[in-house]
Amino acid sequence: MMNAIEFRKVTKRFGGFTANRDLSFSVKKGSIHGLIGENGAGKSTAMKVLFGIHPADSGEILIENRPVRIANPVHAMRLGIGMVHQHFMLAGPETVLDNIILGHEPGRMFVGRARAEAELTAIAKTYGLDFDRWDRPVSELSVGEQQRVEILKLLYQKSQVLILDEPTAVLTPQEVKDLFGNLVKLKEEGKTIILISHKLKEVLGYCDEITVIRRGETVGSRSASETDESELARMMVGREVSFTYQGDRKVFANAGDMKPVMRVERLSIASSTEPLRDVSFDLKPGEILGVAGVQGNGQSTLLRALSHPARHGRSWSGEYLLNGRSHSDSDPIALRNAGVGLVPEDRLTEGLLLNQDMTENFLLGQHEDPRYSKNGFLLRAKARAVTESKIKEFDIRPPHPTVWTGRMSGGNQQKLVIARALDPGPSVLYVAHPTRGVDVGAIEKIHDAIIQERNRGKAILLFSSELDELIDLCDRMLVFYNGMVRAQFTRSEFDPWAIGRVMGGGDR
Amino acid sequence: MKNSEKVRIPQSVRLFFRSLAGAAGGLALGLLICRVAGESPGKVLSVLVNSSFGSGYDFGMTLFYTAYFILAGLAVAIPFKSGLFNIGGEGQLTIGALAAAWAGVVGAGIQSHTLAILFATASAFVAGGLWGAIPGYLKARRGSHEVITTIMMNFIAAGVTSYFTLYSLKDPDSSQAETIPIPEAFQLKPFALFNGAPMGELIIALAVMTVVLHVIMRNSVWGYRLKATGENESAASTFGIPAPASWLSSMFVAGGIAGLTGLVEVLGNSHRFKIGFSADYGFVGIAVALVARGNILGILPSAFLFGVLQKGAGSLDLETDKVTRDLTYIIQGLIILGVASDGLWDWFAGFWRRRNA
Repeated sequence: MMNAIEFRKVTKRFGGFTANRDLSFSVKKGSIHGLIGENGAGKSTAMKVLFGIHPADSGEILIENRPVRIANPVHAMRLGIGMVHQHFMLAGPETVLDNIILGHEPGRMFVGRARAEAELTAIAKTYGLDFDRWDRPVSELSVGEQQRVEILKLLYQKSQVLILDEPTAVLTPQEVKDLFGNLVKLKEEGKTIILISHKLKEVLGYCDEITVIRRGETVGSRSASETDESELARMMVGREVSFTYQGDRKVFANAGDMKPVMRVERLSIASSTEPLRDVSFDLKPGEILGVAGVQGNGQSTLLRALSHPARHGRSWSGEYLLNGRSHSDSDPIALRNAGVGLVPEDRLTEGLLLNQDMTENFLLGQHEDPRYSKNGFLLRAKARAVTESKIKEFDIRPPHPTVWTGRMSGGNQQKLVIARALDPGPSVLYVAHPTRGVDVGAIEKIHDAIIQERNRGKAILLFSSELDELIDLCDRMLVFYNGMVRAQFTRSEFDPWAIGRVMGGGDR
Repeated sequence: MKNSEKVRIPQSVRLFFRSLAGAAGGLALGLLICRVAGESPGKVLSVLVNSSFGSGYDFGMTLFYTAYFILAGLAVAIPFKSGLFNIGGEGQLTIGALAAAWAGVVGAGIQSHTLAILFATASAFVAGGLWGAIPGYLKARRGSHEVITTIMMNFIAAGVTSYFTLYSLKDPDSSQAETIPIPEAFQLKPFALFNGAPMGELIIALAVMTVVLHVIMRNSVWGYRLKATGENESAASTFGIPAPASWLSSMFVAGGIAGLTGLVEVLGNSHRFKIGFSADYGFVGIAVALVARGNILGILPSAFLFGVLQKGAGSLDLETDKVTRDLTYIIQGLIILGVASDGLWDWFAGFWRRRNA
């Protein structure tokens, strides 16, 4: 079988940093090829080299066995390479049709929409992509449909090789299944697909061959039928990794009878983008309560409400109790004093001061704590000493409190954010996306820390877009849909398909 | 410490020397321009040095200008910590100066020197502070961009001070646009050392104030809050540091410090408020803060540098044939460019590495 793409000793440096070193692998024509590796391993750089965004420093790339120099993305597209970026490149208010034909309008003087539409309908039919909403604005489509538009765009451009960067990150399990169904049909029609992912189950389930990259180098390629999750993980990380939590899951015998430490009663938040409607639940010591849902169904609003009620003013209605006391208009400092620890949704925009060192970041939110300040002045030496001990405890690297957090890897940043949330010894923890953009090695450490806190009797509310993570860690789960709690599951009832159905608005 | 660890020069010290080198580079370029203009760079340099350091009086005048620039520079550097760009130093300092003159008029009965100075200081600080707090409030409340509002506040300040100077505080015995002179008790005595150059003891007080401010900004909870807001507004607010409080307080303090110009100008120099006393000191303050890279302590050397250039400017008119005071503005500009072109350093370093690789 012919190779659609071949990398031969491709090296790409940025200044002193080598993102890809002698990267070599080949992708067979008409196959689905998985490209996996930890964050920062160099997968995206390799694909950007292929797509002509960065020129390679040395080595060569062959397309259908012919060496080519890919100068820029336009050139790459002409060579039949197309890419679906992780964040879609679509213009929301414009129609599906206009988005697809942008830059490739069929007419000379006029756009030629009718011709384009006819052609697209034919393409959709050929590849079995069920789609006919050409005149709808893209912003009205679901995330899954938007992704289909991106794929149609590549097909319309007659791309032979389709690169998909983390395509399943934003999809429900059902949408993931549809996506892969479509990809298989594309493969059958002779297209070649390169799938960038870090979800081993997916690549194992749908790819023909898988290439693992670690620290910019090819570790090896495996046929999907001849490998398994643990081998791939070992190749990615360089050591053994466990996927499900292996440690002690102490059962709280009387968890059912424990008094809740936190309770929300009929909480509604008016918001034009992501409202919350009449949400009630409680949280007991020693349990992890998961919050599941497709992004945008109220989970973010819930977390913002619980971590900063004061900010909501008149858009807030309902009751929010911690240890029986109302906190419906508290600010983060008051909540922290009431025993709440917070790991925000996005550590880069909400969690860290990237141009400051670890000590300064450790102080964020604790700057008024009597342990770290006195008479209006910070006790920095103390804060630094504690930061140093947290660095040891959580194995944060590089292990120096003077390192700017902006220069640390995602996993280490997250460990610092978690260490900070746990420092005051909170009784309630709100943890959002603890392992988003975190490398496999650090995930274990973070999951371990969360379970440990639970076993110590902390009440934990865990927000995550990774259903596997929730299923693995939680004792109970709330599934959000359209701003409401649509269903509740207890651990014995966890079933990804049932939960996925509810996430998509169906019944359990 | 382990032996293997290299001796590390603190970042702040390295940046200081970088700035110094940048300033020197800018100055050198400026002198090159003299050359093109047909004046000997050596002559220009000696005129500048002589004019600023030549005598006790000259040095006293240099310090006098430095005092303006310290205040104006701080007024920019402090809000900068909280992420705001204060272009309104000029308005804040004129309002502060007017308030100091007003204090002298209404407090004419005060006999105690200390009390008089305290009253004038408080008036100047509060007036300048409130003037600065208005854009801070608009930013916090309505999200109005501070660059626009502070610029507009400068114009309003000019109008307000004109009105008071010409109508309510006008000196009836003067044909100039100036207020009634302040009484003896309010006046600051110059050092004998400087042969009658104005404003003596204040320069020491300002240096001490700058050091204290530096410590406050670095080590206080308030300074931390400003920094957190400036670095990442949304992270700060997620963890209980509301941006509006940081903006409002930093603009109040900045305006207040700019307002202290009233002490330099009214109490220390002309003993009354004169329309147009400021040679755009408030705007030069932006350059002072830039050259100091927003570092509070760095304001002192930076302000001194601008003091030297300001003092030397007048002499260039008189003592050279081909260049005028405009050259000092060119030099100021080049110095800012030299300091601001920080990326060049990394470029040079990279170039050097590649050559020696």
